[in-house]
Amino acid sequence: MSPFNLAVTALLAAGVACEVLCALGVLVMRGPFQKLHYASAGTTVGAFFIGLAIVARETLHAGGAVEVSAGGLEVLAAVCFMFLLGPAVTILTARTARRLEHEPVEITPAELERGS
Amino acid sequence: MNAYLVAATVLIAAIAPCLAVCLRGSVMEAIAALELCGTLTTLALICLAEGFHRQAYFGVALVCSVLVWIGGLVFVRFAGRLK
Repeated sequence: MSPFNLAVTALLAAGVACEVLCALGVLVMRGPFQKLHYASAGTTVGAFFIGLAIVARETLHAGGAVEVSAGGLEVLAAVCFMFLLGPAVTILTARTARRLEHEPVEITPAELERGS
Repeated sequence: MNAYLVAATVLIAAIAPCLAVCLRGSVMEAIAALELCGTLTTLALICLAEGFHRQAYFGVALVCSVLVWIGGLVFVRFAGRLK
């Protein structure tokens, strides 16, 4: 196995490991806010590693040649979409969960006092 | 069976814990798990396309990522009306 293939496989394995860890975190943690931490990490960290592995596989070739393919661009677009816009859904979910559990969304004086 | 198909299989298997949370958890916990389900599905589709050497299948993953994001927004929007 060439060093390039080894690096791509390592990136893929790291991404899959991150996703499995996030899925287990969502299962084990209690409450929507704890679970959202892991769901959000799955959208960013794992997706980044897997996307990097596939884009490298699709665009880089033997001898250092770079060939941009339609497949590589589509993977890049899909991963960038998840990476950049996923946190927006996470923030909206957290705000809704807070509104359902505690009536006001704004920071209360007591929370401001204790810093959390 | 190459590394990408193995990765896709593991990613699909990782959906199972999220489905368990969807069945047992509260509404907001289920939505958080559902968001991760969408991410796992998109990444599994990407890995399957690479594993089968079919570049056309990458378009499915791209569309899936957009629909998962929009679906998440819609679910959260209507979940906010529960109270």
